[in-house]
Amino acid sequence: MPILQIRQAIRDAMKEEMERDERVFLMGEEVGYYNGAYKCSEGLLDHFGPKRVIDTPITETGFAGIGIGAAMCGLRPIVEFMTFNFSAVAFDQILNNAAKLRHMTHGQFGVPMVFRGPNAAAHMLGSTHSQAFEHFYAHIPGLKVIAIATPYDAKGLLKTAIRDENPVLFLESELMYSVKGEVPEEEYLIPFGQADIKRPGDAVTVITWGQGVPVALKAAELAAAEDLSCEVIDLRSIRPMDEAAIIASVKKTNRAVVVYHGWPQGGVGCDIVARIQELAFDDLDAPVLRVCYEDLPMPYAENLENLILPSPERALAAIRRVAYKR
Amino acid sequence: MATVVTLPRLSDTMEEGVIAKWRIKVGDKVKRGQVIADIETDKATMEFESFDAGTVLKLVTPEGEALPVGAPIAVFGQPGENPDAAGAPAPKAEQPEQADKPEKAAEPAKAAAKPVEPRPQPESQDEVKAAEVSAAAEAPAPKATSTGPEGQVDRGRIPASPVARRLAREHDLELAQIQGSGPHGRVVKADVEQAIAKGPTARPAAAAATGPSEHVPAASLPPGSHAAEVDEYGRPYISRPDRTVKLSQMRKTIAKRMGQAKREIPHIYLTMPIVMDKAVALRAEFNLSVDGTKASLNDLVILAAARALRKHPRVNAYYTDNGIVERGDVHVGVAVALDDGLIVPPVRFADQKTLKQISIDVRDLGTRAKEKTLKPEELTGSTFTVSNLGMFGIEEFCAIVNPGEAAILAVGAVQDEAVVEDGKIVARKRMRVTLCSDHRVFDGAESAKYLQTLRKLLESPLALLT
Repeated sequence: MPILQIRQAIRDAMKEEMERDERVFLMGEEVGYYNGAYKCSEGLLDHFGPKRVIDTPITETGFAGIGIGAAMCGLRPIVEFMTFNFSAVAFDQILNNAAKLRHMTHGQFGVPMVFRGPNAAAHMLGSTHSQAFEHFYAHIPGLKVIAIATPYDAKGLLKTAIRDENPVLFLESELMYSVKGEVPEEEYLIPFGQADIKRPGDAVTVITWGQGVPVALKAAELAAAEDLSCEVIDLRSIRPMDEAAIIASVKKTNRAVVVYHGWPQGGVGCDIVARIQELAFDDLDAPVLRVCYEDLPMPYAENLENLILPSPERALAAIRRVAYKR
Repeated sequence: MATVVTLPRLSDTMEEGVIAKWRIKVGDKVKRGQVIADIETDKATMEFESFDAGTVLKLVTPEGEALPVGAPIAVFGQPGENPDAAGAPAPKAEQPEQADKPEKAAEPAKAAAKPVEPRPQPESQDEVKAAEVSAAAEAPAPKATSTGPEGQVDRGRIPASPVARRLAREHDLELAQIQGSGPHGRVVKADVEQAIAKGPTARPAAAAATGPSEHVPAASLPPGSHAAEVDEYGRPYISRPDRTVKLSQMRKTIAKRMGQAKREIPHIYLTMPIVMDKAVALRAEFNLSVDGTKASLNDLVILAAARALRKHPRVNAYYTDNGIVERGDVHVGVAVALDDGLIVPPVRFADQKTLKQISIDVRDLGTRAKEKTLKPEELTGSTFTVSNLGMFGIEEFCAIVNPGEAAILAVGAVQDEAVVEDGKIVARKRMRVTLCSDHRVFDGAESAKYLQTLRKLLESPLALLT
């Protein structure tokens, strides 16, 4: 099986879908002549021409809105944000148009499109460019939110996202574009709402997604050295969420830790904790803990940033705590 | 549901108490921890801080009346609730103190018949609101008396994880019988699983049928019980019973001799700091160049102490009512710690031995002491003792003189210290030794002189090799 980087898996997914369906097009800052800020659209301009691979000005509100309009008119846009931090500028378009038009028009108009780009903190990007947006978007009915951590998941889920009849927020990671993994040559799709057990175990359930996945896997490795076997569940799809997978695992382990990028108050982490206590209360042996950002704007200084980001060591400490080990 | 507030045991010996003064009245909102009454006990008048929160529905006991511990004194609940529904006058079985003393529990029933007159309640809206908020915040806190989910009565909510509760329920185990190993004594899944493995601990009803002692294995750990004190979340601390360990013969001897020494010997303690840089270097060099043993710093100290004793015979002595006996030989006892106690085998004729020989002797005595293969005559005859706790990081300490000797040298750790020499701060390896001695045999000045000699020997240690 070919080994690809996540950026290549994303490019292949877009390329295959654009070849399959001429309504699909890509739009965003630097996606064309520069081949993408993170080279996710390498070669697409040459292959498909400037009508289907469109460089936009720095106007997120504008091109997000154009994408929504195009989707309403029957096209299937992929809008790339250079980072989801810039999607804050287009928030009203996403919140009030993309998410609501199908509802408000009683189904006369749909918005079948994908917003994609890197999400959350990378490395020393300061407080305004280090934010995790799944917590905002997963709050909104009418949107679907996907976060990927492997090339295989990236390709299979992006193809599903492009074919979906509703707006999908597809969250990637700047730090993980070069992560490599096997990707089958033959076509495959991964349905939304299916979590993936990235590492099986029976002592502690660790729920994570996106950039949290490598952190959780490393923590699970450290825990294994202490004879604590962790089951790492990569949600992949945050909305809809694979509640059944979480609950089945927690019923087995009786303990859970949620590891993610984002602040502690509100958001997806809290939502998962709420579901666990609601659906698996009688199976819990310890409080469910979260390992995420400290409740602060992200500092620029590297040493301070490292203190705020979820680390394998902090995740391990939480794993120990729920397992009543020291 | 309404909660009955009972007269608390405010001292170990308290049997009964008097409400000296109520600090609340009917209709008041009470927070947990709020002082609700002054209670006169056998010892003093004490403030009674409420274990419960709620609205005061009824004050059962008037001021000035003597009541047994555990008697109902008030009822808290939701506004408008019927206080008598809580069964305040007729004490219930769940209150252990009352259950113990049925004859006393009858008294409060009479007291309950004449409730205190409610006083007027000039309370502002804001106060009520604030109190409500705090009462709501306190709501999940444990009640002194509460009823479990299956209607069985327990003494307070036992901290347990949900899965532990479910497992206990499924296996018909009583949570109260299971020792919690989690934080604050929380019963967790592993504890219940252990209890399941141990076999059924029957519920009280079943226990009565099968006999009280059958279901608890005699060898099981003391389970601990819930203390009256609670942590900041209102969860009780776990109290475990004391353990009596039988005295070994060695403990008995140590107890007898140390007790005798402290009773009979007027101790005096003098501490001397000694710069050990040269001694440390000498020992290192010695170990590099001499085969057959490895000397420790303590061996050097023993040697120096022995040589100094030869110069100060009064320190190598003991007291009798007929006169002070200055010992002719110098046998330095070396304290060796064992698992349960210590013994002090002497290095005989230590003042005449080389460092190498002392080192060999100490090693041999220490090994055989731990193997318990020393002969009785090898354990007696010391004329002076060296006790070293430096390896534990102890800087200095006071020891007890062995009866039959006049002094013991307590040796602390050698540590790097900033020392002022000629107006400059320099790093030196320093050790503190404390000569603990029998003031009947010699005085402070003699002790100081001995320590000076010892210091000179250790600070210029080449002399020890002559």
